[in-house]
Amino acid sequence: MREYILKRVLISFAILFFVSILIFVLGRVLPGDPVQAALVASRMGPLSDEVIADVRAQFGLDRPLHIQYILWVSSFVQGDWGVSIASGERVLDMFMHRLPVTLELFFGSVIWAFIIGLPLGIVSALRRNSWLDVTVTTGAILGVSIPVFWEGIVMIYLFAVLTHIFPPSGYVPLSESVTGNLLSVAMPTFVMGTHGAGLFSRYVRSSLLEVLGQDFIRTAYAKGLPRKTVILTHAMKPAMIPVVTVVGLTWGYVVAGAFIVEYMFAIPGLGRMGVNAIFANDFPVIQATLVMVAVNILVVNLLVDLLYAYLDPRVRVQR
Amino acid sequence: MALVRHRVAFAGLVILLGLIVMAAFAPVLAPYDPNEQDLYQVLQGPSRQHLLGTDDVGRDLLSRVIYGSRVTLAMGILSTLFAAVIGILAGLVAGYKGGIWDAVIMRITDTFMCMPALVLALVIVAALGPGMKSVVISITVLAWTGFARITRGQVMIVRELPYVEAAHALGASGYRIMFRHLLPNVMAPLIVTATISVGMNIMLESAVSFLGIGVQQPTPSWGNELRIGYSYLEIVPLFSIAPGLMITLAVLAFNFLGDGLRDALDPRLRGEEKAGS
Amino acid sequence: MLLEVRNLSTHFETDGRIVKAVDDISYCLDTGETLGVVGESGCGKTVSALSLLRLIKDPPGRIVQGEIMFEGKDLLALSEEEIRAVRGNRIAMIFQEPMTSLNPVHTIGFQVMEPLMIHKGLSRSDAMRECIELLKTVQIPDADIRARAYPHQFSGGMRQRVMIAMGLACAPRLIIADEPTTALDVTIQAELLELMKRLTVVKGTALIIITHNLGVVARYADKVMVMYAGRIVEKADTRDLFRAPGHPYTRALLESVPRLDQDLKVKLRPIEGQPPDLAMLPSGCAFHPRCPQCMDRCRHEAPALKNVAERHEVACWIHD
Ligand SMILES: Nc1ncnc2c1ncn2[C@@H]1O[C@H](COP(=O)(O)OP(=O)(O)OP(=O)(O)O)[C@@H](O)[C@H]1O
Ligand SMILES: [Mg+2]
Repeated sequence: MREYILKRVLISFAILFFVSILIFVLGRVLPGDPVQAALVASRMGPLSDEVIADVRAQFGLDRPLHIQYILWVSSFVQGDWGVSIASGERVLDMFMHRLPVTLELFFGSVIWAFIIGLPLGIVSALRRNSWLDVTVTTGAILGVSIPVFWEGIVMIYLFAVLTHIFPPSGYVPLSESVTGNLLSVAMPTFVMGTHGAGLFSRYVRSSLLEVLGQDFIRTAYAKGLPRKTVILTHAMKPAMIPVVTVVGLTWGYVVAGAFIVEYMFAIPGLGRMGVNAIFANDFPVIQATLVMVAVNILVVNLLVDLLYAYLDPRVRVQR
Repeated sequence: MALVRHRVAFAGLVILLGLIVMAAFAPVLAPYDPNEQDLYQVLQGPSRQHLLGTDDVGRDLLSRVIYGSRVTLAMGILSTLFAAVIGILAGLVAGYKGGIWDAVIMRITDTFMCMPALVLALVIVAALGPGMKSVVISITVLAWTGFARITRGQVMIVRELPYVEAAHALGASGYRIMFRHLLPNVMAPLIVTATISVGMNIMLESAVSFLGIGVQQPTPSWGNELRIGYSYLEIVPLFSIAPGLMITLAVLAFNFLGDGLRDALDPRLRGEEKAGS
Repeated sequence: MLLEVRNLSTHFETDGRIVKAVDDISYCLDTGETLGVVGESGCGKTVSALSLLRLIKDPPGRIVQGEIMFEGKDLLALSEEEIRAVRGNRIAMIFQEPMTSLNPVHTIGFQVMEPLMIHKGLSRSDAMRECIELLKTVQIPDADIRARAYPHQFSGGMRQRVMIAMGLACAPRLIIADEPTTALDVTIQAELLELMKRLTVVKGTALIIITHNLGVVARYADKVMVMYAGRIVEKADTRDLFRAPGHPYTRALLESVPRLDQDLKVKLRPIEGQPPDLAMLPSGCAFHPRCPQCMDRCRHEAPALKNVAERHEVACWIHD
């Protein structure tokens, strides 16, 4: 187990290394010189080449590429994420400020995905081939196919414009009002969690069906256990263990969803910050956003793998 | 379940054909010129003249949705084709050459895997400047990895097969072997990937356009219609809901079809529930 | 009589075809007796055993007729709850596949304790104590430690021992052992049978041993039942069956396996042809296309079981 953890952590670091190179390269090859952008943004007017060269040197941009890369990584690790071109704020501060909002959305969307996908997947497996099963399986494809932005629009129209159940947009911090907060995140998190709900129900269904076909289920019945016990203690546990990996599979959608959903619902989180930075060509912010997205996805996938290994005795307990 | 599956795949096919007909016969089907403005009739609800109503500059929405199918489908399919070509080539090289080629190509795909496509697409499109070309380029850059992985995996299996080794022994050149012998074996999973990929790419294009940095007005695409319509959601809901529905239908159609194809081409046995009371 | 099966038939319906996996079989078994059930793969041995406990999944399977009198009650007439009280308690089944018949995510101890807790109402700690005793009886070393282990930490033979412990847990009156055919090697198999026989003899437990191996039958069974295509073709005391096999199929079976009491020069003859498709049985006697003594009558009329000697029944026209 220890060896396994170590290996997974190392792999994650290796991938992170490649990602950092990709982001670094992206910053150099894509048109739009960060210095130029910075100078334009600071409205200093047309500048002589000397001044520009000066500023470049200040940013370390006249150094060889690999040195630039090392400088960038080391300052990033030390918490120096640069300064936003658009607002002049320190990027790390901007990030920390918005992090709780986005974490709440992540958390909420996973909860939605679970509470919708899990029970539907279970009933659909237990009532195999019934109309319910067919509805759930078809609905699951709809769930993974529906674009977040359209789902968001339909939700806003139905529950904010037509019925006024939820506010159409905006975010109420938890510290201000608990109900207000929950109402303001209900729709956005639902939209972000739909993909996961669809995936969950599909995986739960097929995993449970597979387990129900195993020999040990027959053994459990032969012991005289009632169907309920067989399903709850003998089928559920082995069926649910692989399902935790779905969190990893859907995580990319959840993260991407945050960008669109925060933009649509005017929620002051990291996604909105990222989209605005992209609109404004605010390179330091874009760069930090990309790095943190990658770190986030890698960490979540690592945790999922470890959780899976922990839950499955075949991995956890060695021979 | 097999029947249901096939019915679902069939539904996907039917929707898809509908969309293709819509795109192909847009000039015939559309009641108006999609770019004809009528400033006396802006933001109208559905009526006899304008079945879906009009947009903010008085253009007929139905016509714009119909013409939008051209742009959206073309971009989805085009970027998939580019991505498939690049991905298959990369996968063949990685799987067949192995060694450093394999390592480099696979690390690149790993790298892309831990970035959501949408986020990277936004960054790339924004940097290249808005427009159809940048959208296609960025999606292609992101979508090839899936094809590469599958091709590589299959190549690794197939190249060990006796007849491939025999061809090698007979002195056939490496690339000839690749194309002659290996490619046919990877066709089935690639077709499934491509089908699902078109749906994903349509979703990506729409999202980028929805955020305003993809396809630009006045060219109609479902994504950018949705963007403008969203501002008028309270006045003319159809303005955003109709193009969004089209995007969803298109993505669904490709996913349904891909799912059905997967089942048809790669039938995995699903377990039966054992002994029950 | 402990168990009396009368006219039991179990059919499966798949893709509109009806497979008569068990077709009108009758037999009985007394306390302490051991019955061997033999026949080629797919002849309905497992299905007939599962039918006793009503463990046939419906659909596709269904017990279409018959009576199963066990301790004076017809198992087929019991309510769901009543049959559950029989399963694992009065009748235990030890399954064929030791590798897959144990739940991979629960400890061995938990799985052995389960029948004790539900049938005997033992508390967790009492059940654990009992479970460790059981694991000791089936000769699992370090039973108290091993009880906390998971199935994947056990070898196939050890898992089969666990299955036996589980079967013995509630001291059932009847144990059905569906013999592992491919999973275990022969010596381990013999060891396990020996163990099981020893443990059941002292308690007077009846045993049904399902096997391909006539050697096993000769050694452990008091009586034998030979099945072919879902039917019983011969039923006899073990000694009589080996001394005077009445059915050509039984004889073919005997000739196809090596026997210790036989001269090595005697050539083994595998049974020619394939067992029939149970959904499309040949007319007349199901064995006739493979039968060396096939007569005209065999092609048209199916023979019924008939006494050829005392307590020796054969279903074949040659005895007519
Ligand atoms: N779930 C099922 N669905 C359809 N047919 C089945 C099912 N289970 C068993 N059968 C049929 O019943 C017949 C008898 O199967 P059974 O498992 O009893 O054979 P067996 O004698 O135990 O063989 P083996 O020695 O290989 O274990 C088989 O031919 C099979 O086709
Ligand atoms: Mg069997």
